[in-house]
Amino acid sequence: MFDALIDGLVLVLQWKAFSLMMIGMGLGFIVGLLPGIGGAATLAMMLPFIFKMSPAEAFAFLLGMHAVAATTGDITSILFGVPGEAISAATVVDGYPMAKNGEAGRALGAALMSSLVGALIGALVLALAIPIVRPLVLSFGSPELLMLAVMGIACITSLSGLGARSQIRGFAMGLLGLLLSTIGQERQSGSLRFDMGMMYLWDGLDLVPVLVGIFAIPEIIDLAVRGTAIAGEKQPGNLQAGVMEGIKDTFRHFWLVVRCSAIGVFIGILPGAGGGVAQWVAYAHAVQSAKDTKDRERFGKGDIRGVLGPGAANNSKEGGELIPTVAFGVPGGGAMGILLGGFLIMGLTPGPDMLTKHLPITFSMVWTLVIANIITVVLCLAVLNHLAKVTYIRGGLIIPFVLFLVFVGSYTANGQVADLVVTFIFGSLGYLMVLFGWPRPPFVLGFVLGKLVETYLFISVTRYGFSWLTHPMVLVLIFLIGLVIAYPFIQERRSKNRENMGAV
Amino acid sequence: MQFKLRSLFSLLLMAVAAYAIISAQHWSFKAALFPLAIAIPLFVLAGTQLILELFGGQEITSGPTVELEFSSDVDPAVARKRVAAILAWIAGFILLVFLVGFPIAVPVFIFSFLSLQSRVGWRLSFALTAIAWAIFYFLFQWLLNVQFEAGAIQSWIGL
Repeated sequence: MFDALIDGLVLVLQWKAFSLMMIGMGLGFIVGLLPGIGGAATLAMMLPFIFKMSPAEAFAFLLGMHAVAATTGDITSILFGVPGEAISAATVVDGYPMAKNGEAGRALGAALMSSLVGALIGALVLALAIPIVRPLVLSFGSPELLMLAVMGIACITSLSGLGARSQIRGFAMGLLGLLLSTIGQERQSGSLRFDMGMMYLWDGLDLVPVLVGIFAIPEIIDLAVRGTAIAGEKQPGNLQAGVMEGIKDTFRHFWLVVRCSAIGVFIGILPGAGGGVAQWVAYAHAVQSAKDTKDRERFGKGDIRGVLGPGAANNSKEGGELIPTVAFGVPGGGAMGILLGGFLIMGLTPGPDMLTKHLPITFSMVWTLVIANIITVVLCLAVLNHLAKVTYIRGGLIIPFVLFLVFVGSYTANGQVADLVVTFIFGSLGYLMVLFGWPRPPFVLGFVLGKLVETYLFISVTRYGFSWLTHPMVLVLIFLIGLVIAYPFIQERRSKNRENMGAV
Repeated sequence: MQFKLRSLFSLLLMAVAAYAIISAQHWSFKAALFPLAIAIPLFVLAGTQLILELFGGQEITSGPTVELEFSSDVDPAVARKRVAAILAWIAGFILLVFLVGFPIAVPVFIFSFLSLQSRVGWRLSFALTAIAWAIFYFLFQWLLNVQFEAGAIQSWIGL
């Protein structure tokens, strides 16, 4: 085992594999920064280039690119309020307000350092878990995965605010997201739903235009209304000091980062859930770990913990996703499904062989995740100072560039002008949601999870009738969902009691 | 009873849910089950919210929300004008892409926005447009090989 670990490192450090990893990282850096163009799509575009590579070189190239895209996606989320990657949307919620408060450097430092810690934890878990993870993955069937998805939505809905009305709005938005995910052809019967006679809608709404529209357009409108730079009239201050402060924040809240990394790994292991879910659950956990209502009020307005949680989970889930992909050939997420194509191109079969005969290659993947993330964070920290200055350029100069990137990114979803219209429609919807106080995160999570939830529900009912509701793990998850929903009310009551005690 | 603008959003949600419920009546059980299971509670929740907004009085404490808050330090009339202007620019950009395709729409839009909306001098506008076009060409077309459709005008004249 130890020999294989060293062999894996040697494979990655060979000049050709290392050079290819650096090229992949360069591509991943750019792709991560660009809104809309996902790491998964770029993996797919790069697959044809690996035919002449050895397996270690191919995985160094592909994984190097994929690992970096997850990290640099946070940079766009923080600086412009536009998710650089679909898996960086949660970083917008607190990262962008920090940039508006003149704390872009601190937010970027925290995002990068928590990403690095998350990636290292993910890689460590991947290295340790391969022999023991099989029973865990196999114990989760469709009913358990369904309840886990529902728990993800409940987690994020509980963040909609305290009080009944806020909770109603949160749940309604989660349901709207789920409902809009049903647009298009139904998988089991082939029926067309809500297609309004448009062929464009047969495949359903693509995540990229919806996500980019709902997050980016309201921020761009706000920037245009303010007529200032992203950071407003605030003075830049010492950006480098801010970056260092962000790095220190990662260690000040180290256990939160570790817990969110664990969430990322766990969700990454579960097939189908992926980073879209992991970031929001980690964000929800960060909010719920607030001491009291007052502490919680800082979230959404630029709390560093809201940046640390998703940053860590985004990167740790890469290691988690690789576990079922390598060990069972069951991809943990969309990008891993494409990586599986890489296995087949290389003539490798995921499964027991990867844990015995090809163990050095498996460990070379672990090392790629570690080395690529360390290099990226070090390089990014060197240029962050300049990146953060972007928030002090006046809005009038930034807006056309951001709009151009947003719409080109959306267009890459299907290559149709209709993608731009969808972005505009969801951008307007997002604007109204913010204007009238309806939260966007539950909507996004509902939309991301919709197809999965429907599939799991269908399989559960077909396979078990309604007896799946009595499965022990399902009961445990139902109990946890109840707790998650009740938690804001409990927290509110505790706060009131404390205030009353203080008044007495 | 106090009807506010925000109540329209609850009504919009109710209308969407009602449309989903009515549409689902025409589908097979398999296809209708999930949308119905979602749309019915959505209709109820949006209706409850509407009733609370109309008859429930002022919402005393909504507590912390993890959401963006729009700037409130701009005069509302000016803010409305600016919102309308930026939405018009976005709609114009989409229309331009439809008519002439991305390769032409990107430089035209960026130059127009910078010089007309942001009132930037023509030299700087030109330089920034050239940078945007270089990013568009080298990054999206050359490196990432993204295929951009020709615009409707090029199709009409057979280019």
